[in-house]
Amino acid sequence: MKKLFLLPILVLFFSCEVEGDFTKSIEDNPPISPVASVLYSGNFTPTSGINVAGQAKIISESGALKLELSEFSVSSGPDLKVYLSKSSSPDEFITLGNLTSARIYSIPNDVNFNEYTHVLIHCQQYNHLFAIAALTQN
Amino acid sequence: MKNIFLVFIFCLVVQVTFAQGCSDAGICSIGNGFDSDEKELKNNIEIAAIFGTGDADITYISPYIAYTRKFNAKFSLSTKVTFSSANGDFGTRAAFGDAYLIGNYTFKEVKNKQWSALAGWKFPFTSSNLKINGFSLPLDYQSSLGTFDLFLGTNLKYKKWDFNAAIQIPVFNNNKNSYFDEFSASDDFPTTNLFERKSDALFRTTYTIKPTNSKFTFKPNVLFIYHLGEDTFENQFSEREAIEGSDGLTINGNLITSYQINKRNSIELSLATPFLVREIRPDGLTRGFVAGVNYRISF
Repeated sequence: MKKLFLLPILVLFFSCEVEGDFTKSIEDNPPISPVASVLYSGNFTPTSGINVAGQAKIISESGALKLELSEFSVSSGPDLKVYLSKSSSPDEFITLGNLTSARIYSIPNDVNFNEYTHVLIHCQQYNHLFAIAALTQN
Repeated sequence: MKNIFLVFIFCLVVQVTFAQGCSDAGICSIGNGFDSDEKELKNNIEIAAIFGTGDADITYISPYIAYTRKFNAKFSLSTKVTFSSANGDFGTRAAFGDAYLIGNYTFKEVKNKQWSALAGWKFPFTSSNLKINGFSLPLDYQSSLGTFDLFLGTNLKYKKWDFNAAIQIPVFNNNKNSYFDEFSASDDFPTTNLFERKSDALFRTTYTIKPTNSKFTFKPNVLFIYHLGEDTFENQFSEREAIEGSDGLTINGNLITSYQINKRNSIELSLATPFLVREIRPDGLTRGFVAGVNYRISF
């Protein structure tokens, strides 16, 4: 009878949760050129209980649009995304990617910044908004 | 002490060998574990490990443990906990998958025909958004689809034939996957951000071959799974989009060979491969070959 209790314990013992190393390298966007022009910018403000600092800048560089998170830091979260949003809440938005150590994100070319007026940092998994930057034209 | 050592060795072997015998999730393994011939044995514990190969050269090792309690000649209840380790180009990700709770009711045999019915639930342990070093992973690397599923099924046993029909319905979707093809270095997987999966219908035919005076039983079977609609995801512009070709038929062939060690113990080897697959399988259920071993103890 003892064996019966040993079996599940051994199975659990051999089945530990594993998170290996990410082996599919992704190239980060190259640094922004000093001559690139800043089209829009805005300072981040936090939601309740969150710490955030820094600025969102929409940059045009050689015909490509990019978002730069400048001098940026935010409280950690489990599934943080960078959104370009039509309002200060994540209802209608463009996902620019996971918030990682990268500070430059590509933006689709046909975005109308009269409609997409905010940059949001949002936890998608738990639907919790972390930070908002309202964009103003430079 | 010798027994403990043997059990330890067996678990090691199971970890690198395998079990089950199906190339789709959950639904294909239900309905087993209720067919002990020994009426006085009311409890059944099954440990298994499945080895599988999938698209994009991903390999899987998926152990599970199941417990079945026979309350009387007609009614039994089965629970199962799964684990999955996926290894491929993105790295290795391993975690607990789902828990199952399935009830089975067997009707009285009439003229060699015996019907049974089953109903059950699948509870996911994850939201299907496991990452490696903060990078989102496609569903092929996830240990669960993140859905709370209802199972309803029936089985007809007629002489040496078994006919199963079942449906697996995702009732609550808790899939929070955040994989975007656009942001990935790989082109092997479609975007599955906030994935929503449709139901599956299953039909399986099994023929049992039991040579006289042999401890071996062979169960070749064919499994048809029809995915009842196109799955959807939320695209980069926060719009829901259907995945064309994600519905349709999968046909699997499976051979189960079991060996009855004694009244209480048996071991089973299962080999399976699909003959026909859907055009696209964004849910990551892309097993091309599945092999496994399970060990069953009744008491």
